[in-house]
Amino acid sequence: MLQRFLDPEVLAGISSLDLLAKTVVDGFVAGLHRSPDFGFSQEFAEYRAYTPGDDLRHVDWNLYARTERCYLKRYRGETNSQLTILLDASNSMQYTSGPPKKIDYARFIAASLFYLAIRNQRDAAGLIVFDDEVREYIRPSTRPGQLARLFTGLERAEPQARTDFCKPLRHFQNFLHRRGIAVVISDFYEDPETILHAIAPLHFHGNEVILFHILDPQEIRPTLKNSAVLIDLETESRMEVIPEYVKTTYRARVDAHIDALRTRSRAAGMDYQLLVTNQPLDAALREYLTLRQAEN
Amino acid sequence: MGFLAPWFLGGLAALGVPVFVHLLRKHVTVPRPVSSLMFFERGIQSSTRHRKLKYFVLFALRCALVLLVVLAFANPFVRRAAASQGRLLLIVLDNSFSMRAGTRFSEAKQEALARLAEKSRGEKAQVIALGSQVTLLTQQITDDAQLKAALTNIQPGDGRANFGELGRVVRAMTETMHGAIDLDLFSDMQRSAMPANFADMVLPGNVKLTLHSVAAGAPLPNWTVESVDAPAVLADPKDPRLSRVVAVIAGFNTPAAVKQVSLLINGKVVATNKVNIPANGRATVEFAPLNVGYGFNRCAVQIDGGDALPADDASVFSVRRSDPERVLFVHSTGDTRSPLYFAAAIEAAAPSSFVVQSVAAEQTTDFDPSKFAFVVLSDTPSLPSIFEHALVAYIGKGGGVLITLSTSSAYRERIPLWGASVSKPHDYARNGAATTIGQVDFTHPALAEEHPGRDNGGWDTVKVDYAAAVDPGRARVVARLMDGTPFLLDKQVGEGHLLLLTSGLDNLTNDLPLHPVFVAFVDRAARYLSGSELLSGSRLVDSYVQLRSAARPVGTQASVEVIDPDGKRPLSLSEGRTAQSLRLTRVGFYQIRFANGHDAVIGVNSDRRESDLTPMPDDLQQLWSGAGTATASQQRSAIAEEVKQPMSLWWYVMLLALVTTMAEAALAGRYMGTQREEA
Repeated sequence: MLQRFLDPEVLAGISSLDLLAKTVVDGFVAGLHRSPDFGFSQEFAEYRAYTPGDDLRHVDWNLYARTERCYLKRYRGETNSQLTILLDASNSMQYTSGPPKKIDYARFIAASLFYLAIRNQRDAAGLIVFDDEVREYIRPSTRPGQLARLFTGLERAEPQARTDFCKPLRHFQNFLHRRGIAVVISDFYEDPETILHAIAPLHFHGNEVILFHILDPQEIRPTLKNSAVLIDLETESRMEVIPEYVKTTYRARVDAHIDALRTRSRAAGMDYQLLVTNQPLDAALREYLTLRQAEN
Repeated sequence: MGFLAPWFLGGLAALGVPVFVHLLRKHVTVPRPVSSLMFFERGIQSSTRHRKLKYFVLFALRCALVLLVVLAFANPFVRRAAASQGRLLLIVLDNSFSMRAGTRFSEAKQEALARLAEKSRGEKAQVIALGSQVTLLTQQITDDAQLKAALTNIQPGDGRANFGELGRVVRAMTETMHGAIDLDLFSDMQRSAMPANFADMVLPGNVKLTLHSVAAGAPLPNWTVESVDAPAVLADPKDPRLSRVVAVIAGFNTPAAVKQVSLLINGKVVATNKVNIPANGRATVEFAPLNVGYGFNRCAVQIDGGDALPADDASVFSVRRSDPERVLFVHSTGDTRSPLYFAAAIEAAAPSSFVVQSVAAEQTTDFDPSKFAFVVLSDTPSLPSIFEHALVAYIGKGGGVLITLSTSSAYRERIPLWGASVSKPHDYARNGAATTIGQVDFTHPALAEEHPGRDNGGWDTVKVDYAAAVDPGRARVVARLMDGTPFLLDKQVGEGHLLLLTSGLDNLTNDLPLHPVFVAFVDRAARYLSGSELLSGSRLVDSYVQLRSAARPVGTQASVEVIDPDGKRPLSLSEGRTAQSLRLTRVGFYQIRFANGHDAVIGVNSDRRESDLTPMPDDLQQLWSGAGTATASQQRSAIAEEVKQPMSLWWYVMLLALVTTMAEAALAGRYMGTQREEA
């Protein structure tokens, strides 16, 4: 029953990202079969000797009282990787042929992943919003209030400017200290070679990289009854096109672009997932959980 | 070309609306946003150019629509001559009896067909046959095939043409139709077809008459049997007064000639005489005695030798031979004078046709009236009821009764069979002076006289001392006294007739029996009441025969059977049950069985005026057709001016505006649809 809350059209009516993420994840989790591979309890992993600089909150004070030695109590969750979402907030992401917009759909996915990671998986989660620059960076963390910060960051991510993968990803590498899962959410209107060339360093650093390719149904199978003037949302350049072209050549070129992205990303050891804005969000969540399990 | 309401042209200012919308107002095109133009390619040819073309077509359509609506209100018109529209061609083909002469009819028909072929395609025409009646064979149509078929189907008839009748029909036609008419008459222009008054055949001013005469050259000589005097009923072939046939042979435009005239009875020549006919004159030939067998005999008087019109060389008539018929004369007991006078008159008029049997009123109980030709009730105020009932049935089936009223029935309220009563008798003798007959209807068969003398046909000298005053009711008053009192009345009862003489036959109430006119009256009344005249003899074409009386309701009457000269039945079964009369249209013998069961064989001849083939004089033809006269040409030019009338184009303009509106709606719908999609 809760699966219906994964429908993008229903989610578009929810204004609060918190509530939206909770709805999506709860609905998604409730639809899963309980499996021992996905334990969400705070499972004890090991004791580790305290070294200066460690967070004192994790010191097992009971053990210190008995042995007068400082040990850090480590849980299994804390041993997992961190999630970092790179959200493309360029102008092309505000395209829509019907609710939701691509940027909204991307927000829903990001919010749901954050919620799943922080609340259910106890993973650290961070956010990078970029267009042709890095507009916002929230460090991955599991600290209380992190989820709220991430949601705020998502809400501030209004589309503007153009997309440029190279510059923000180079910058992102500077923030990368620890291996984890990097999720790139974008419509990838760029040459696949250029995209992968920009993203590949993430994978070389040991990150598991997932490309969520967000497209509107009208971008894959556009319908045009008469010739029309089209305007590019990013460059604002205009072009007159004819229906015959849209029906034939355009579709072939888009399909080729998607295939190229999928093939090249998988060849580079990255995961690729095409998400159409009229499809439920569970595909993205399932992809994330699958990767996370493989990492563990 | 002009405008009936030119001030509406001010509406052309509305043309500014589409000009503003299309040319002055900036056209805003809302582009359609896409995420990226990365995969698109420019395609201009089928978009912008088509749209611009659509745009200008739409602009032109809108301007045309405004223009047409304004024009429709301004009501444009053109002046068109009626020659191209509204002109009617009347093709009149004479199919009267005289057209049977030589090849006149076929020539006239060929000329008419040729004229029809010259007709322009859109011109309306009507085909008319001019015979005894003016018959409109088609409506006013443009269908050449239908017109040609109607013209081809016209056959020569036996009737007499009358140009006066044609003039009357055309004048009636022009009362409802105001356009110009071309009347083409194909005829032999027979002089005898002219009416007595030339004004009757004059055509209205908008009719252009073209005469196509097929009787060119000298008039053709023609002999004909002009008239035949023969008894319709013959009882005794040896009666020298009746048993004879007198025929008049006439020649028109003929030289003096000796002609052989034959009498044919039932197809066999029984007698032949030679007769000298003077140039353009008449001669009489007599055949006596007339030996015919019992029953109906079909007779004809025929001239030998050919002439221009062979169809009129014979005159047909029928003679019915029968035994003398009995007449029942019922009188009051003491009256011996009436039967005497009546029998003497019958004996004088038709000695071998009728035998009078007189009987007193009280002794009529055992008499059957149906065995008598007719019955006379002479001053019989009361009758045995059995006999009276028998008389009622007898009259209903077609019998005839003559009732006379004398002093005996003066103060009796009821007149037997008549149904009315004597209200107040006029006793002129007692009042001082006898009166006389003042008014006589000579068209009635009982008093028929073609040329009555100045003494009112002999009736002026009759003195009437006494007459019963009878309310005529629905009866026809045939003769009146000087003071207007009905003297002789005729009333139809069922199929039969009642004649009521309001005075007596006894030489006491009047002196009619002493006058010569009494014999003629008794003779004609006897023939009328017996009905024998109607069952044989001869008639003219286009005369009518009464088949039944209208007194009885439809459905209770017996059917009538008619066989025409061709052996066909001209009446359908339903017409045979309802038809009141029959028009005799063909020359020959008609065989008729009336509703009352009587059989008749009637010979029918054409009107002998048709035998005179002399055409109208040329100057008269020119006068009729109007050619060569100044007034006619002036009239014609006036017609041409009149018929050149303005024709409004409003309807066509509105039709064009409607088409433009539909085209504009279709194009604008597609155009705006494109814009919405782009938006």
